[in-house]
Amino acid sequence: MPILSAKGVAHLYNKGTPSQSKAIYDINIDIEEGELVGIIGHTGSGKSTLVQHFNGILKPECGQIIVDGTDIWSSKKATREARFKVGLCFQYPEYQLFEETVYKDISFGPKNMGLSEEEIDKRVQLAAEYVGLPKSLLDKSPFDLSGGEKRRAAIAGVIAMQPKVLILDEPTAGLDPRGRDKILEMIKSYREKTGSTVLLVSHSMEDVAKIATKVLVMNNARVEMYGTVDEIYSRSEELREIGLNVPQVSKIFEILKKSGLNIGSAYTVEKAAERILSLGGASV
Amino acid sequence: MIKDITIGQYFNGNSVLHRLDARMKIVLTVAFIVSIFFCKNFWSLGLMVLFTIQTVIISRVPLKMVLKSIKPIAIIVVFTSLLNIFYISGGTTLVDGRYIDITTNGIFTALFMATRIVCLVVISSMLTYTTTPTMLTDAIEKLLSPLKIFKIPVSTLAMMMTLALRFIPTLIDEIDRITNAQKARGANLDDGNFIQRIKALVPIIVPLFVSSLRRAIELADAMDCRCYGGPGRTRMKQMKLRFRDFAALAIMVAFIAGIIVLNYYFGAVLIK
Repeated sequence: MPILSAKGVAHLYNKGTPSQSKAIYDINIDIEEGELVGIIGHTGSGKSTLVQHFNGILKPECGQIIVDGTDIWSSKKATREARFKVGLCFQYPEYQLFEETVYKDISFGPKNMGLSEEEIDKRVQLAAEYVGLPKSLLDKSPFDLSGGEKRRAAIAGVIAMQPKVLILDEPTAGLDPRGRDKILEMIKSYREKTGSTVLLVSHSMEDVAKIATKVLVMNNARVEMYGTVDEIYSRSEELREIGLNVPQVSKIFEILKKSGLNIGSAYTVEKAAERILSLGGASV
Repeated sequence: MIKDITIGQYFNGNSVLHRLDARMKIVLTVAFIVSIFFCKNFWSLGLMVLFTIQTVIISRVPLKMVLKSIKPIAIIVVFTSLLNIFYISGGTTLVDGRYIDITTNGIFTALFMATRIVCLVVISSMLTYTTTPTMLTDAIEKLLSPLKIFKIPVSTLAMMMTLALRFIPTLIDEIDRITNAQKARGANLDDGNFIQRIKALVPIIVPLFVSSLRRAIELADAMDCRCYGGPGRTRMKQMKLRFRDFAALAIMVAFIAGIIVLNYYFGAVLIK
């Protein structure tokens, strides 16, 4: 049974006004437990709108969102439970920090779940560890942290609820390359340690290639493709048509393949290096 | 949703009223509001109602929107009318109760008051329906500029008003975003008693303040970079009085003259 599925989901913008338009429509997907799904698409393709349906922030015009076997809009209780089962971390999450200390801010989610003090403490410590926040920062005011630290503290606030599905909307936006790699590395290890399902919204094909197991491509308010990284990235022609560029290394590998070199395919620099090395090893 | 609140109530259109100079519109609105209280008999009151209806027709603002602007004051109108009916004495007594009398004077005063309030609100909403908030602040700045003699920083005040209006939609977006982020962490904003609800607002208000301050500092820097505050600031849109503005002024003068004549000719309706 998929952990998360959408059946015929559609959402309208400015409903009932002359500027009414489809934000997303005809969404049918099943996401299996334990996957790390990269959701990519153009700006305005409906990525953020789609993920905001998964934890019941937005209510679909029609269709169903099923989390862990329950329709999240079947009852008020189900909607509230969906908020905790599916942890959604918005774009630029550092702007949601509000408490006096980082510790208190991370514990906001677990507190809302009605957990015991001990449990909350355990979860806060664990979440801080996952995102790599040193213990010394927990007693500081969140407004004294650096940009990257704030971002990680905010993500910890969502992780502390220990959701079955963690959704991150553009977690690397506005960060420098090193900050970006740190966050991606963190997401990867979080999934490996906890085994939870992760959805990563991004418009960077490179980022998604680095850590995702599956890729969901959004285009013009619909799901264009859904499959494994290899399946999707090999359809580079189609991707280009909808304005998405495959990573540069894949382009180089395509050219190499065309010129008759039997080298396979690679979507990340690391993978490419591996392939090239193995090629060299074979010839020696 | 919070987005449904309409701020400012400009109705996009291209009627003569929309094209009138905003300064003239403000002056004429004030003149009309003063003249409302001149009406002493049904003839001048009738002229005023006719004038109001005519203005609404010319503006081509849908009647539904005009009625929407009256809705909030309906209670005040009903309440003052009732008070007037029961407490004003004089004229012919219609009902002679033990505690309250209903007199012709009472009924007439109630009628006059109700009509005046409704016309006042309709005409002033015509001003905001046909003028964008920026045009309004520009006009206010121009009209108040003589106050500069008294060292009152009129253009700074006008800039503050413009900025406040400009940032309302931005703040509404921000509130929406923060609310959603906290909801995603299980914040419960819809349930609980009064105190609990107020407390639930803290996670929204604190980030909102933080980001507003940040935005304000950034804006101030950006304005500094473009040398805001230098002397002799010019405007992109120069306000110019045209023929139609003077025509509107003439109509208003004729209207006020009409009211005075009708008052004089037919006398007051209230009997002392």
